[in-house]
Amino acid sequence: MTAIARAWDNLTVTGKILVPLLFLVLVVAPVATVLIALFVGPWVVDVLASNLGIVRFVVAITGVLVFTIPTAFVIIYMEMKVIARMNLRIGPDRVGPYGSLMSVVHGLKFLSKEDFTPTGADVPVFTLAPVVVFLATVMTFLVVPFGPGLVAQDLNIGLLYLFAIGGMNVVGLLMAGWASFNKYSLLGGLRAAAQAVSYEIPLTLSVVGLVLLAGTLSVYQIGAAQAGWFTDWFVFRQPLGALIFLIAGTAEANRSPLDMTEADQEIVAGFATEYSGMRFAFFFFAEYVNVFVMSALIVTLFFGAWNAPFPFPDVAPALDPGSLGIGLVLLLAAAPVALTLLFAAPFYLARSSTPAWQALLLGFITFSVVAVGGLLGAAYLGLDWFAGLAWFMVKTFVFVFVFVWMRGTFPRVRIDQLMGFAWKWLLPASLLNLFVTAAAILVVEALNKAG
Amino acid sequence: MTGIWYVVGFAVAGVSFVFLTIGLSWLITHRTRGDRHKGYPYESGIDTYGDTHARFGISFYIYALMFVAFDIEVIFIYLWALVFRDLALAGFVSMLVFVVILLVGLAYAWRKGVLTWK
Repeated sequence: MTAIARAWDNLTVTGKILVPLLFLVLVVAPVATVLIALFVGPWVVDVLASNLGIVRFVVAITGVLVFTIPTAFVIIYMEMKVIARMNLRIGPDRVGPYGSLMSVVHGLKFLSKEDFTPTGADVPVFTLAPVVVFLATVMTFLVVPFGPGLVAQDLNIGLLYLFAIGGMNVVGLLMAGWASFNKYSLLGGLRAAAQAVSYEIPLTLSVVGLVLLAGTLSVYQIGAAQAGWFTDWFVFRQPLGALIFLIAGTAEANRSPLDMTEADQEIVAGFATEYSGMRFAFFFFAEYVNVFVMSALIVTLFFGAWNAPFPFPDVAPALDPGSLGIGLVLLLAAAPVALTLLFAAPFYLARSSTPAWQALLLGFITFSVVAVGGLLGAAYLGLDWFAGLAWFMVKTFVFVFVFVWMRGTFPRVRIDQLMGFAWKWLLPASLLNLFVTAAAILVVEALNKAG
Repeated sequence: MTGIWYVVGFAVAGVSFVFLTIGLSWLITHRTRGDRHKGYPYESGIDTYGDTHARFGISFYIYALMFVAFDIEVIFIYLWALVFRDLALAGFVSMLVFVVILLVGLAYAWRKGVLTWK
């Protein structure tokens, strides 16, 4: 908690007024929402129901923006903890249980740092650079399918859109490098540009095999084409493509071991050398969200998207809750009480010294765990999108772990090796993959026609 | 047409999110004037030396040129892949010829030592 206290001390008087206000808004807003829902609810529902398109638009955008924040926090914490373990350290352990609030404190610290522009910086470009980098990351979420139906907008040119918007990232890095008026920044920006132009081509070529197989550019459709057993995942038909995508994706996301743009032993912090405070935070916010996006794309394109590794059990709801009528209300009211008593009984009977209130508390905790587990299980079985989302997040975080693992394991490559590898190995390999896939499709179609 | 509105909406929301957060940070933080050294570019502790926007190696430029050639090829390949099943063998052969011509260019650049970072 001392870190929070220190961040608090660092705030100006304005800050000490504004931050409590912020928390007030966060607490008051939900209460106000409930009150408004009670009094003007019916009217609002009418208006919303007649504007469903707009509601979906607003919900999708807010959802994505809100989703990025905890995701970045979790990935940053995960990276600190996992790499610490790999280095035989403990990692953050002061703030929150097992240091889990460390990234929140980092965020607060960045928020309370001076917003500083160095002398000689090109101010408009310097200000816009983090915006461009962040935008390039957030806009890719538009076509990332989180589950069946859970996609902001299923663009029919999804893949092209992804690479076009993803390529904007490097424009931001180059802007930052140029505008900082610092030799290290400029070198970092130029390295980012050279690296991006080299790895963009294998990255885009590695998924052409999928377009050939699925016959569509829509990311959602490519994900949907992999339903069934895990052997239907495209990684088993495009292993080379998946490998190239993983390597080139690491380079595109500027992740170690291909993070020449911010190689701290050589060029301090690269493009970010002159940045501090919230602007710096946005570069790294974007980087960690980018790690998530890259993992999500690998999962979507090659590892079956939201599909489970086995055919989905088709469970029809055994009981329609609506048919119970008033009984449902009674059940919802009675079940917690009855189950709490039921779970409390063994605790009370096992040791006669246990006071009744303690047994009841333990019973209630057990009930909560069982109820949450039961609800999640029911949602998994009953709701397609929930099961899809669960599988998607699990698989994505496996790949987030792989990215962290690579950072903890591999030494950084040299820039000449990095560039040479892209042009001399990845580019021919991705073209080979493309033509082998095309030839295989021709052969299979000819065999189908003959047989 | 809804797609383009989503793209625009994401762009507007992203930009406002960044500016609102930076604005909030600007409102609540300290600002000190400091001496002239505060604004200097970071160069390992010494005052800046020479021209910052100095000249850089030509290799960056040649990589960018090659990127343009291959990226246009990629756009073409995407559209080809989309209709590949209709084109069948004729499409396969013509794309093979197209890519081989580009690969000759790559081989030439390779022989000339362009791909070796100097």
